[in-house]
Order: sequence, then C-alpha cells, then structure tokens
Amino acid sequence: MNERISKLCALTLDGKMYVETIKPNFDRYDYFLPTEQMNVKRLCEYILCQKPVITENSLFTGLFRFDGSVVGDAFNRSGHKNTAIALKNFYLKKIGNLSTMEWQHATGDYSRVLKKGIKGIIEDIDASALMHYKPEELEFLKGLKDVANTIIKWAEKCSDKVLEFSKSVSDPTKKNNLEKLASSLLLVPRNAPSSLYEAILTMYICFSANPDSVGTLDRYLSPFYFNDIKNGTITRDEAKEYLQEFFLMLQSYTHISSPHFTRGGQSHFCIGGYLEDGIDGFNEFSVLIVESLMELPTYIPQLTFRWTSKTPKDVLWFMMDCERKDPNKRIAFTNDDMRIACYTKICGIPFEKAVSYTTVGCNEPAFLGSMAGSNSKGNLLHSIETLFHKNYGKIINCKSFDEFYGIYESILFDDLEKIFEYDNKYNKIRARDINYISSLFACDCIENAKSITQGGCNTAIASPTLMGIINVIDSLIVVKKYVFDEKLMSMKSLIDALHSNWQGYGMYRTVILNTTDFFGNDDNLSNYITSLFYDSLYKFINGKKNIFGYQWLVGDLAGYNEHYKWYGEDTLATPDGRYMGDMMKFGVGQNEGRDRNGLTALLNSVIVAHKNLIACGSTVTNVSLDKKLVEDDEQFSKLVDTFETYFRNGGVHFQLTYISKEDLIAAKENPDKYKHIRVRVSGFSDYFVNLNESIQNDIIMRTDK
Amino acid sequence: MTGIIFDVQRGSYVNGPGIRTTVFFKGCNLKCTWCHNPESQDFEPQIMFYKSKCTSCGICRNFCESKESCIICGRCTRECLTGAKALCGKKYTADEIMEIIKKDIPYYKNSSGGVTFSGGECMLKIDFLTELLQKCKENNIHTAVDTAGYIPYSSFEQILPYTDLIIYDVKCMNSTVHKKYTSVQNTLILDNLKSLLLIDKEIWVRVPIISGINDSEEEINELKSFYEMYGYPQKTELLPYHSLGEHKYEAINKELTRFNTPSNDKMQKLMKLIK
Repeated sequence: MNERISKLCALTLDGKMYVETIKPNFDRYDYFLPTEQMNVKRLCEYILCQKPVITENSLFTGLFRFDGSVVGDAFNRSGHKNTAIALKNFYLKKIGNLSTMEWQHATGDYSRVLKKGIKGIIEDIDASALMHYKPEELEFLKGLKDVANTIIKWAEKCSDKVLEFSKSVSDPTKKNNLEKLASSLLLVPRNAPSSLYEAILTMYICFSANPDSVGTLDRYLSPFYFNDIKNGTITRDEAKEYLQEFFLMLQSYTHISSPHFTRGGQSHFCIGGYLEDGIDGFNEFSVLIVESLMELPTYIPQLTFRWTSKTPKDVLWFMMDCERKDPNKRIAFTNDDMRIACYTKICGIPFEKAVSYTTVGCNEPAFLGSMAGSNSKGNLLHSIETLFHKNYGKIINCKSFDEFYGIYESILFDDLEKIFEYDNKYNKIRARDINYISSLFACDCIENAKSITQGGCNTAIASPTLMGIINVIDSLIVVKKYVFDEKLMSMKSLIDALHSNWQGYGMYRTVILNTTDFFGNDDNLSNYITSLFYDSLYKFINGKKNIFGYQWLVGDLAGYNEHYKWYGEDTLATPDGRYMGDMMKFGVGQNEGRDRNGLTALLNSVIVAHKNLIACGSTVTNVSLDKKLVEDDEQFSKLVDTFETYFRNGGVHFQLTYISKEDLIAAKENPDKYKHIRVRVSGFSDYFVNLNESIQNDIIMRTDK
Repeated sequence: MTGIIFDVQRGSYVNGPGIRTTVFFKGCNLKCTWCHNPESQDFEPQIMFYKSKCTSCGICRNFCESKESCIICGRCTRECLTGAKALCGKKYTADEIMEIIKKDIPYYKNSSGGVTFSGGECMLKIDFLTELLQKCKENNIHTAVDTAGYIPYSSFEQILPYTDLIIYDVKCMNSTVHKKYTSVQNTLILDNLKSLLLIDKEIWVRVPIISGINDSEEEINELKSFYEMYGYPQKTELLPYHSLGEHKYEAINKELTRFNTPSNDKMQKLMKLIK
C-alpha cells in the first residue's frame, strides 16, 4: 500500500477514523405531526446535522452513522422502536429452550444508484407514486423522496466542508485530492457516476444508509474500472488505492472499543459467482479487490469467494493462497452451483435474481437490496430431549428403527413448527417499524411503496439456524447401532442411562464413544442417518414460506453468540454420549475429534448433509487443518484439489483454520476435544493426541505462534 | 481373500501423486531399528497399550475373555475408558477395502491421485495385493505399491500389470550396515531395483536418512552411481528420520533404539547430490 493509505490505515486501526454522531436539537412541535411525518423530518434533519470525517490524506468522505435518536438504518435498527421491543424481550432470551431471536442483516442494492444516481431514484419514486393510491403508500414514497433529497444535500454539505478544509492544506498533491473530492461530491451521488472514483464515492456515502454487506462488489464496479482503464483515465494502482480507502471506511464504521472491531462480519461481501448470463463473473477486477484487501492489516470487511463449476483451478488456487497467507482470516468459500440450484429449484427464484445473492454477517445468504432472513436460533436437540426424557413411553417398545424414527420425526416436526412460528413472530414485531433510509437502496421498495422492514424488498428469504444438528445425527446413529442393530443395550437401558445422566452406565457410554463411527466418518451408517435426517428437514420445510411470502431454508451457524452453549446448559443427557448441560454443536463440519477417517471422509459426510439443498441457508463448514499443509506448495495444491472436489460433489461452504500453537496446547490439555489434529513429518503422520508428551512438547515448541 | 490391515488413511497427501488412500498391510520381513511404525512389523493383530494413559481402573480385566493368555479379541480395547488400549490390525476382505477406497474416487480423479498399498511389506501378501490392484484397475484408479523390495522378483512380475507406480524404499547402500539395522542384506533389494529401473515403469525411490547410519555423502553418491549404471528413477525422496513413532515401541513392549534427526542443512546437501 502507498504512503497515503498507510497513514489512513494507521488512523483507522487507531480508531481515529470513526465517525462520531451529532444529535440535533429537534423541535418539540414535531410531536404535533403524524408519527411517520415526524420520523422523516427528524431523519432528514439528523443527516444534515452530521459532520464528515476529513483528513489531509482523504480522497473520500461522506459516511454518517445513527445514534438512535431517529429511525436509522435497517441493519443497526437504531430508532426502530418495535424492533427494540422485540430485542429487549427475545434477543438472547430463550423461549422454552427452543428458540431465541437473533440479529437480522439487510444489504443494500447499489446497482440503481450507480446506474442513475439519486436523481434517477427520485424519478423512480415519482413514477411509483403515480401507480399507488393508498395514503400510507404515498406517504411512504414522499418520505423516501425527502430522504433522497437530503442525501444529495448531505453530499453538498460534505463538499463545502472538504473545500474549507483543503484551504488549510499546503501540500499540493493533498490539496489537489481534496479539491477533486469536493467537486465530485457536487456530482455524486446526485448523478450517476462516470468513473470508478465517483462510483466508489457514491457507495461510500450510500453505505451509511445500510451499513452492512456491500454485496457483489466486483460486478458493481467492474464496468467503471474497465472503462477507466480503456480510456487511460486510471491506473491499476490508483484503483487499488480507491478500493483500499473504501475498505478502511468499512473497518472504521465499527468503534475500536467494540468486540466486533476485530471480528469482521457486518461488512461481508462476495466476489465471483455466476452472472445473469450464466458465465463465471470472476475477473481481473475481482483479483484487484482481493489484492487490495489482503494488503490491509484490517479485520473488516471479510469476503466470500463464490466458486462455480466454471471456475478455473488456478483461480481457486489464487483465492486459497490469499486465504492461507491472510493472518486475519478474512476469506470464506461457497459453492454457487449448490446455492443457485437451491434458490431456483427450492425457492422458485428466477436464475437472473438468484445469481445476485451475497453472503452477509457470518455467512448468511441475502439477495441484494433485501433482508437476510430472520436468523432466529432454534435448538434442534430439544426434540431428542423431548423424546427420551418426556415421551419415552412412546419408544420403549419400538420393534424397529424405522418405527422409532417415525415417532422421532413427528416430535422433530412439532419443534420445527414452533421454531418457525417464533421466527415469524419476531419478524412480525420488527415489521411494525417503517424504515425510510435503507428502503431507498433496497430492491423494489420504491416500486412496492413498502418499507424493507415490512417485506417491501424483493426476495426476503429466511433461514432460521439450528443448533445441535450433529448431536441429533450422532444420537440417532447410537440408537440404530446399539439398540436395534447390535442390541448392545435395550431401549429401556438407554432411556434409564439418559435419565440418570449416564451415572451407572459409564461402561455403555465408553463403548459408545470408543466404537461409534459418528458423523464425519463417511461410513454407511452415519451417512444413512445424515441423509435420513436432512430428508426429514426437507420434507418439513419444502414449500413453507415466511411472513413475506418467501421459501424458508435452514442453516447451522451460530454467529457471534454462544447459543449452542446456552441451549446445552439446559438440555438433559442425550444418546450421543453427551452429559446434561454439555454444550451442543453448531455448524456441520469437524466433530470434536469424532471424525477419525481423514479430511476426504469428513467432506464426503458434509456433502451427504447438503445433497438435498435445503441447508443452503446460513450454513457453515469449519475445517481445521495441519499448518504444514499450507507451507509447501506441492501439498497445498492437493489441498486445493481436495476442496475443489468437495465443491464439485456438492459441498456448500468451507472456511479453513490452520492449527496454531494455542490449539496444540489446548489439545494437549483436552485431548478428547482435539482428536482430529494430525501432525506430519516427511512421509509419516499421526494424531497429535496419540504422541507422547515429550514429542507433543517438541511439536508445540516448533510451531510458530 | 483376506489380509490384516493396520490402517487405511484417506485423504493422504503423501505416498504418491495427488490425493490418495493409503492402505497399510500388517507384517514386514525387515526389522528396521528406526521404523516409525513398529506395530506394522508383526503379521497378526496386536494390542497396543499406552501406559501413560492407563489409570489402573481394572475395567479391561473384567471384560477379558481369556485372562491366562491374550487371544487378541480386542474386547478390552472397546471397554478402555481412557484409550490406553487399542487394537492394531483387522482382517479385511478385498471388497471391504475396495468399499473404502471407492469413496474417494472423485478426489483421485481431480488430483491425479489414487491408492497406495504400503505397510509393513504389502508384497508379502502378494495374492491379496494383486486382487486389490486388479480391482482398482477395474475402477480406473491409479495404483502405487510402496515396498522395501525384499521379495522375489516374480512377485513384482505378478503386480506390475496392475501397478502404475512403484515407491521403492532403499534403506542403505552398504550391505553390512543394511544387515545390521534391518536384519537382512540388501543384495536382493538392489537386484530388484536394478530390474525395475530397466523396464518401462514409473519408480520413486525413498531413502530414510538416519544420522550416523546412512547420512554420509559417500552413501548418497553410491546410490547415484547405481542410478548411473541402471537408470534414474522418476523421483528420489530423502526423508529425514524423526522420532514421532517412539511412543509406539512402549505400546507394543518392544525395545526402542534412538537415533538422531539429520539437520536441515545436511538434508539439503544430500538432496543436491542426488539431483
């Protein structure tokens, strides 16, 4: 990175680029206005009261934030009174150890503003007003128009401030940059941008309206870049500089004191993937985006690479190479073939729309200009607990596994019904708020004359995420293997063992843990159970729609919060050997050392889980790998081949962790949890926990921190 | 046909090109004192006992079906609470092994990988090995055989039609030293290598480098002279000795001899000589 970006980067990581908020003195007579009119008036006043961050090294400015005093953006939901009620009562507060509300993402669609500027958006609002007649719809559109005009005025205010600031700058290059910024702010976002610089400046300002994912960045900005390059009006290095300043803005949006400052998540975006005409969209500009981000020692944003079956191997190699070299672990990988198949076949979304998805937050899918579903967290292990601790009378005399599974499935469906019902209820509360600023950049809110929070946006898919899927699968494996196939224990013994929290049944538990091929081993039984279980999920969910009328999917990620731990604390013992109170698992990936047949076996097992596409919601597969695999290019190439094969065969997602010194120390202290870690020297490899202490110490000492 | 297998390692990035499944046969006719898989030397299944993990709870004894003399039933390993006991070696049919191998066919195809049969000395179970190799070829799977070569050449002739790659372990060029540390002389081994180098077959030679035993420049130069006389293999890998298998000696109650690991500088020098 060049000197200018270095300086801005230092300021950013020092928290000095954070945009402070200024609360205006609102007129008390505003309360005499109808609520929505007051909300819009105050929102506009608030925006114009803010102060842009300008430094002598700035080439961009215009970001603003909300403080809760007005109805702000749809991601932070500041000032959204009904959402606040929902959060206060249900966020991280379990209902019956079965469901809890989670944060909701919302991602802007910048294509319209980049195509026609805010001026064009205002024209669209006027056109829409001619098509609507309901007073609330017309009032909503009027509100949007007021906010749109305010953003133009905000840019003009920023221009004045920049010009004023530039007078105090003596360095001619810096002064020139500031003057360029000031004059550009009079052009955009009012008008459609005509260069990459103006396009990024437009997004820089409009990001304030929905400060979450910036979506499919390479497809928004590629046309500007290639046009500028063709016209000779930009160099590759200049483009990189612009992108880097944009990324620094995304980092600085979060306050340095927040735990989220070093986690990434909010500003997750995508590169690559299928375009509307079916070709793979990864291009030279995508490479530039990745290079620009990787040069910055920041944490936010993170990106997902959308792999397609048309992605050349060297592109996947490039992306995985960037990932292995990135100490801040900002790159994840997802499979477009699976996701697009899901969105078109299961959700019924047209291909042209389906390809516009991005991932937001931790890994939630969302369509541009829309909300990322609901993301409530459901406890799936609750169904197993109900079966063995409350309804055990129904299964004690089961003659076959099929009979047992039929009873389990009906309890599972009861729980799913409630999980999805609660999910709808959280959304219904949130939908009572009307949002003006994010709706301006949402897809179709203008045409529908309806707020993004109320489902005015196009394609608001929902994906409740389920904790404990692997515990459920492992529990079912144990029941089939030991009760019905091998008859090691009777159903009554198993029920008694669980009721006593395995006390007095330690021998059984040991045999179960030592001799079961649990999820992740790619053996016939675990694959059969995995397939059976996901087919049940599919059976339940397929065709079910959320309150906005879009198909539900499921996911398995936990996000930032430890729901899997909290749910586990209140869940009784389960057949997978889990004690009462033990945390449960999230994600579908490595199984705390229970996957013992190697990486390909693990990935094949995950593919079985993903095969019916229903898990294309907020799905995550975390894989921890031996650090040595990424140090040598020959071995690393095989790793690339491995994950390419995994995608070609139906894996949806992966993100990689290479074993650290801390992990090895933890493995030494808790070997049962880290059984999967292998260490390799030359042609020999072994599980770390199998080695004697002195060699473990030696390896720990040799592992770089 | 059946064979005793002590490990099937899936998703292996070593033991040949691409992503591989490595099948480890139990039983070896060399007794290399530096062997990092000492449990591979005996032909029959055996109980491995990791003393440091044992809490002397006595549970394994309660389940023992033959307290007077162990019949390797493995029951005690199933009941062991701490993992101190483990059964090494299990009888498989060729079809059972093939079922595992076939699970990763897409990975082999996408990486030019395949299956490697190793050990122990897999060629001592030549008919079982041949059956497996034939089945792999029926499924268009690339095959590699990892051998120490102390077997009649007729065994090679039996497997060559179904083998794409021979990974050939050369422990030491000096026959006396070879005999001292592996229990056999290397004449047959080098004769077989000579014959293999003269035919049209891909060969990778692997040499474990043990400090003070075979890490001299003379040793490597001798190997190079051998190549110059009979032909170069497609690849030579020098593998530095490591002590990662030491804990297994105690687990099978076998006497351990310690060796030193050669330095990186030393390894680089030797690699330059052979290239």
